[in-house]
Amino acid sequence: MIDPRGTRRRLAVTIVAVFAIVLLLGVRLVDLQVVRASELREGADQLVRTSTVYGTRGSIVDANGLVLADSVQRFDITASPVHVDWNETTITRDGDEVDVPTSEAIAEIAAITGSDPRELEASLRDALAEDEAANFAYLVRTVPLEQFERVRDLRISWVYSEQHPARSYPKGAVAGNLVGFLGTDRPLAGAELYLDSCLDADDGTVTYAVGADGVALPGTRITTEPARDGGTVHLTIDADLQYVAQQILAVEGERLGADWATAWVVRVDDGHVMAAADWPSVDPNDLNALPVEDMGARSFTAPYEPGSIIKPFTFASLLDAGVVSVGEQLVVPGRYTEGLPAGKSITDAWVHGEMRWTAAGVLADSSNIGTSMLSTRLSAAERREALLGFGFGSPTAVDFQGEEPGTVRSLDSLDSITNVTQQFGQGMGATSAQVASAYQALGNGGVHMPLTLVEGCELPDGTVTDAPVAEGTRVVSESAADATVAVLEQVVSQGALSSRVDFPGYRVAAKTGTAEVAENGVYGDERIVSVAGLVPADDPEYAVVVTFAKPDTMRTSAAAAPAFEQLTEHVIKAFRIQPATEAGPTIPLTW
Amino acid sequence: MSAAVAAAVRPARAPAAPGPRRHLEPVAPPRARRRVRPRLVHVVVVLGGVVGILLAQLGLSIAVADGAYRISSLQGQERELDRQEDALAERLESLASPQFLAANAEALGMVASAQMPYLDVASGAVSGAATAAGGAMPGNRITNVTTAGVPLVAADAGASTGTGAASATTASATSLEESGLTVVSGDASAAASGQDGGAGGTIPSPTTR
Repeated sequence: MIDPRGTRRRLAVTIVAVFAIVLLLGVRLVDLQVVRASELREGADQLVRTSTVYGTRGSIVDANGLVLADSVQRFDITASPVHVDWNETTITRDGDEVDVPTSEAIAEIAAITGSDPRELEASLRDALAEDEAANFAYLVRTVPLEQFERVRDLRISWVYSEQHPARSYPKGAVAGNLVGFLGTDRPLAGAELYLDSCLDADDGTVTYAVGADGVALPGTRITTEPARDGGTVHLTIDADLQYVAQQILAVEGERLGADWATAWVVRVDDGHVMAAADWPSVDPNDLNALPVEDMGARSFTAPYEPGSIIKPFTFASLLDAGVVSVGEQLVVPGRYTEGLPAGKSITDAWVHGEMRWTAAGVLADSSNIGTSMLSTRLSAAERREALLGFGFGSPTAVDFQGEEPGTVRSLDSLDSITNVTQQFGQGMGATSAQVASAYQALGNGGVHMPLTLVEGCELPDGTVTDAPVAEGTRVVSESAADATVAVLEQVVSQGALSSRVDFPGYRVAAKTGTAEVAENGVYGDERIVSVAGLVPADDPEYAVVVTFAKPDTMRTSAAAAPAFEQLTEHVIKAFRIQPATEAGPTIPLTW
Repeated sequence: MSAAVAAAVRPARAPAAPGPRRHLEPVAPPRARRRVRPRLVHVVVVLGGVVGILLAQLGLSIAVADGAYRISSLQGQERELDRQEDALAERLESLASPQFLAANAEALGMVASAQMPYLDVASGAVSGAATAAGGAMPGNRITNVTTAGVPLVAADAGASTGTGAASATTASATSLEESGLTVVSGDASAAASGQDGGAGGTIPSPTTR
């Protein structure tokens, strides 16, 4: 029944048709891929957008999670100068579109952002002067959300905006010297700089296609480079205590007319820094307010000759070596000349004749002569080793930005005078951080814990890195350290500080220091006064060190006593230290 | 129909002529007829299906595009709310700064607390010495640009916003400097003498009104 000729005809027609279609497609392909390729690609590229996804720089928080530094969103208000109609601009007021003179629209933006309308207009005109077809100019930079929203709600056709991640320091000058600050594009000081590897974030990019109306097409979003958020730095600082310490320094520093001051509180158990205050204080939000030299953390970067507060370490090393006992009876002359060049002598801060001190009395009454006499019982190398052991002469474990190692002279550079004076803190240099860290060792039964400012870096996924090392090194024996603390308690109970400080119900050990300041190689009138102590003396929990540089109104160690008293009282309250259950020992200072 | 009738009447003449062949065709076997009808149905179904699919696809792509606009607007809304949350959190962090809290406390007439005594629950003994709350606050010296211009809480404002207890707050805030301090220090000296007296002792407590 089937006609074979008809079948062949149909087959031929089909084959011809298929070839025709293939040919047509081929032509079309060449047309799209070769002939019109660049034109089409250009058109497509305009519909593909790439935008930056900002990674968030990590925040810096204190031991209780209070935010000290945080990343915040700010906005740049930008404009397209070429699209500005200089006569009339449509703005939206209370939901109604109104036409106003362009100068009025600019004035409105200026009023919202608190800027100068003339400057805004100038930035538009400058951009146009440079390029007649300029379609970009900054109007106002880094405005907060509320201002940005009000400008946006004006709905001015030629006004645009950009995100501008910024940094905020919500606690102001509290811990400002430690936290540091950022420059326009990179960290410049403090924790922001030296912990940057933890805090730093990477920006990512995404690409997506948009329709003619600018709306992203579904399913076209491709993350070409993922953004990475920075980690959170947990400091050991207690922001409230830090504030109190800074406040005390400011009030007392003003009263004394000091140049600068530092106050430290270190937890004895683990060497964690509870407060590291610097005065003058820096508010990282407002860096223009302070001279550059006050912006760093002097606690770490400004070594000074600490003076008598170094004596306890000499004393502890003598006790440790067994060459001195606390009750040993000494006859101390009015000046010390042994081994010194002719005509040179070491004297005490006050003139006295022959004194009958016990070894404890030499330390408690802070005799330079007595300390010199005792220290020569150890060799120069042993004495130097002892100072190095307490952490002097090398940066602390914090390794803060720009931290100074201080000075402990090498044996061959020690002259006969420095050889002795180094033992009571002259001719050597230390930072407040080192002094506080050394007192921590004394309070911790002679075990020096690495000074710790950072509890850890918490990454966005919750893992914690950079956890502090919890292993200490023994510097002196526990008995030597404890005996030294007991002697320092005498300074508060019956010595120089007994009339200056009062801690009813508590036992506190402390040592005063009044160091001469060498300027141009000569000791002048200027002093650095300090008080360092441990609370409670019966079982030390916190080391407290207060230092004032170059006070004008009072140049004795008593100058620092009120600040030490206030700070220690606050430490007792803040950390709920229990009152002493029994009275402290009374060690005879003279015989 | 008349042709069919004719063919039936004259079957012998039928084979040679083409006309009768055409006549025969309509009288196709029922099987063949049945085959034609289903083919038509198939075509209708297939075409209908294709059209239906095309329509559905159109509808879907309209829905997806519409969804894209909704997603876009909701994402915008989410971004807005995120920004607001961030801005409010930032503000809260500033207001929680120690110096701002201290300044507010001072504005309310509060003073720094003094040393506190401890009560041993087991023995009933009081340890530590109570001292009166410290005198005048020196005034805040620690700057914070982020709270600049934020008004401090006023003692009177506290009374007007609160109810009941607030009036007591105002009373203590205003009279603290005169009466409050002396009452506390009076109790403190009593505690000190009580301790001197030996066992037990008393805990100083401010007079409650």
